[in-house]
Amino acid sequence: MLFNTPLFFFFFIIFLFFYGFVFLRQTPRVYFILVASLVFYGAWNYKFIPLLVGSAVGDYYFALAIAGAASARNKKWWLTASVVMNLGILAIFKYADFAISSVAEFLRLFGYDASPSLLNFVLPVGISFYTFQSLSYTIDVYRGDMEPRRGLVHFTAALAFFPQLVAGPILRARQILPQFHHIPKPEWTLARHGFLLITAGLLKKTVADLLAAPVALAFDSDGPVSLVETWTGVLAFAGQIYGDFAGYSDMAIGIALVLGFRIPLNFRLPYFATSPVDFWRRWHISLSTWLRDYLYIPLGGNRNNHRLRNIFITMLLGGLWHGAAWTFVVWGAFHGAIITATHYLSGLKPLAWFNESGSRWAKGLKWAITFYLVLIGWVLFRATSLDSALGLIADLHTFRGLPAPGEVALPIFGLTVAAVLLMHLMDRFILNRADWLEARWWLFWPLLIVGQVLCLMIGEPSSEFIYFQF
Amino acid sequence: MGERRTWGRILLAILAGMAVSLVILRVFTDLNDASEETILGRVSEARAALPEIIAQEEDLVMFYGSSMVEAGFSPRMFDRWLAERGVTVKSFNFGFGGLNPYFQEILSRRIAEQFLASDRHLELALIEFNPFQTTQTRWQGAESIVDSFLTMLATDRELMEIARQDPERGVRLFTIRYLRNDISAEMITAFFGRSLQPRPQDSDIPEDEAMEQRRTEVLEALEGRFEEDYPDYDGSDWYWPWQGGGTIPSERSEETVELIKELIHTGQSDRRMDNDRLFRIRTADIIELRFEELLVESFIQLVRNFQGFSKQVKIVLLPRNSDWIEYSPEGRARLEAVIERIARETGVEIVNLQDTAEITPDMFGDTTHLGRYAGDIPFTRLLVTRFAPLLTKP
Repeated sequence: MLFNTPLFFFFFIIFLFFYGFVFLRQTPRVYFILVASLVFYGAWNYKFIPLLVGSAVGDYYFALAIAGAASARNKKWWLTASVVMNLGILAIFKYADFAISSVAEFLRLFGYDASPSLLNFVLPVGISFYTFQSLSYTIDVYRGDMEPRRGLVHFTAALAFFPQLVAGPILRARQILPQFHHIPKPEWTLARHGFLLITAGLLKKTVADLLAAPVALAFDSDGPVSLVETWTGVLAFAGQIYGDFAGYSDMAIGIALVLGFRIPLNFRLPYFATSPVDFWRRWHISLSTWLRDYLYIPLGGNRNNHRLRNIFITMLLGGLWHGAAWTFVVWGAFHGAIITATHYLSGLKPLAWFNESGSRWAKGLKWAITFYLVLIGWVLFRATSLDSALGLIADLHTFRGLPAPGEVALPIFGLTVAAVLLMHLMDRFILNRADWLEARWWLFWPLLIVGQVLCLMIGEPSSEFIYFQF
Repeated sequence: MGERRTWGRILLAILAGMAVSLVILRVFTDLNDASEETILGRVSEARAALPEIIAQEEDLVMFYGSSMVEAGFSPRMFDRWLAERGVTVKSFNFGFGGLNPYFQEILSRRIAEQFLASDRHLELALIEFNPFQTTQTRWQGAESIVDSFLTMLATDRELMEIARQDPERGVRLFTIRYLRNDISAEMITAFFGRSLQPRPQDSDIPEDEAMEQRRTEVLEALEGRFEEDYPDYDGSDWYWPWQGGGTIPSERSEETVELIKELIHTGQSDRRMDNDRLFRIRTADIIELRFEELLVESFIQLVRNFQGFSKQVKIVLLPRNSDWIEYSPEGRARLEAVIERIARETGVEIVNLQDTAEITPDMFGDTTHLGRYAGDIPFTRLLVTRFAPLLTKP
C-alpha cells in the first residue's frame, strides 16, 4: 500500500475516523495502531507479518533480559542474541543469495565449476529499516542509554508504526517509544505542517517519476547516448532517487505529524552539501546517524589511529545495507574513499587556505566538487553492473565519438536541472519558512491544493518507491 | 480546542482538500476535452450504434480489427458486390485505431453482451489479426493508457474482479472511473509529455521537393470538396450511413477521385514511406515481431468471444506493403508460430492475405494502411471473392 495511492487515502481516512472518534483511550489506541499497521504491512504480503512481530517480540524480551542480567557477561550474551537474530534475519532474506553466488563466482575464478542453487527468498518489504530500528533498542538498553519499557504491544506498535514501517526514517526507540506510552494529542498546527510535508512528498515523488524517462535513456540504452543525454540521465537519477526517497520520508513524517507524532527529518538539502562528510550529514540522516552510533563509534570512531579505516568500513557496510549487489558495495566503498580523502586533504597545509576559506567562490568550488563526486557515486548505485557503471562514467567524460543529441536533449537537460532545484527549493521553504507560512494561513491552503492537484494530474501511483527494495 | 473537534477538523480538511482538488482536476480535463467520448471517439460511437445494427433485418457481417481494417474495408461496397451475387447482408466496419488486442478483447465482451441479450448473431465475423498491434513494443507504448481505457471499456463487475486479485489496483481503477472522469494521471502525463518522447531516427532519403509541392497543391484543391459531397455528414468517426467505413468513389466527383488518387501517390514518396517505416519499427517492432504473450492471449480470447454470437468466424491477416515491410527471418518464424497457435487454440481458419497478389504496394497510403479508393476498394472486392461462398444460402 503506497502512500501515493487511492487505497492508502481510503485506508488513512478510515484509520483517522476510528483513531479520532472511536478509540479514545490510550491503550485501545495503541492496539488500534498496531492492528492498522499490520493491515498496512499485510497489504504487501501478509506472510511476513510473523517475521515483523517475531522480531519485535524477540527484541522486547532481549532488552528486558539485558536490563535484568546479573553480570556484564550475561548482558553481552543477551545483546549478542539480539544482534544475531536481527542480522540473521537480514542475512537469510537479503544477503544469502548474494553470498552464495559471490562464493560460486570466486570459485569459478580458480576453475571450480560451482553452480549452487539459490534460496530465492522474497525480500520482505522494510526489513532493512525495522531490523535496524529494533536492534537500536537492545543496544541502547545494553549501553544504559535507555531503560527497557514495559508493554510488548506498545513496543510492537512503535516498531510497526505504519508511517515509517517500510522505508523509514529509521527511528530510535528513545525517539518513538515514549510517544507510544503517552499517545500525543492532535494539534492543528502540527497537522497543518503535516499536510504541507505530505504534499511536498507527493510532489517530490511525482517529479521523481517524471525523471525516470531520461534516467532510463542513459542507463538502459543498448549503446551510448549523447554527452548531454548521459549527463542528463545521471543528474536525473540524482533527482529521481532524492525525490523518491525524500518524498517518501516527507510523507511519513507528515502523516505522523497529522496524528500528533513527531519523527525527525531524514534529509536536509543534500545536494547543497559542500563536502562528502557534509553530504552524509544531510542524506538519509537516520541511517547515517545509526551507522555512526552503532558501527563507527563501536569500531573506535575518531578516538584511535584507525579513524580512516573505521570510516571506510562504516561506509562499505552502509553501501551493502542498500542492497545485495557488488555495485552497492562499490558505491559504499567509493563514498568511504572520498570521505577519507576529504579528511586527509583537510589536514594538508598547502590546502589550508582553501579549506578555511569562507569566500563564495571557494564554497562554490567545494559544492561543485562534492556534487560531481555524488553524481559519480549515483552512477555506481544505479548501474546494473560494474562494467556498465564504468562505461557510463567514461561516457560522462568523452567529448568525441558519442552520438549527436536528439532535438529535445537540451530542453530536457534544463528541465532536469529545474526539477532537482525545485525539490530543494521546496525543502528550503519548508525548513526555513514554515513560521512565515504559518502566519499566512490564507496562502497555506492554496499551496496545498495546487500541490495536490498537480500530483493528481501527473503523479503516477503505479510506480513503486525505489527504497522499498532495500 | 477539544480533541474531537481537532480530529474533526483534520478529517474535514483532508476530505475537503481532496474534493476541491478533484473538482479542479475535473475542470482541467473537461477544458482539455478529455473524456471517454473524445478519447475513445470512434469506439464509443460504434458502441452507441450497436442497438441499431442489431435491429437490422439483413444477415449481419462485422469486420473487427485495428486501423488497418478501418482504412481497408468498405462495408457498403462489400454489400453492393454481394447483392450483385444475390447475397443480401449488412456489413459493418469495426476497425479502431490504437486498440490493441487487450482493449479489443474487452470491447468484444461488450459487443457480445448486446448481441446475446437481443438473441441476435452475426452471420460472419471477420477478425483481423494484426501482428503489429500484438508486439511487446506496442504493449509498452500502451501502458500509460491501460488503466484509463480499462475503466472506459470494462464493467464494474470486471473491475471488481481485478480488485479481488489486486486491491490496490482495483481501488485505483474505481477511483479513475468515478472520481477522475476515466482519465488517469499517466494518461495526462503521456499526453503532455509527447513532445519529450525520444523520436525515431530520421530517414536518410532526400526529400522529393517537387512531389511535396504537388502534395500541398492537391491538399489545397481538395479543401471544401468533402463538405460539398457530404452536406449531411454529422462529424462522427463511426458514421452510421457509411456503416462505419469511409467514403466510396461513386459518391465523389471524377475530379475529386483523381485528386485523391494523386494524394495517395504523392504520399508515397520514398522519404515519407521510409520515415513511416522507421516510426513503426520504433513503436510496433514491425520487422522483428517480438510478440507480447498477454496480447496474444487476449486475441485468442476475443476470437472466442465472437464465436459466442457468430455463426461463422474467420481470422484475416491484411495485406502487407512488401516494398517497405520485410520481416526478419526470426520475425517471420515468430509470426508463423503465433498464427499456428491461434489457429490451434481457437479452431478458426486463418485467411492470410499478407502476400496476396491482388494487392500491390502502390495501393497503400503508408507502410501499413491501404490507401483510400486505391487500396480499400480492391481489398473489399478481394474479400467478396473470398467470403461470398460462405454467405450464399442454398
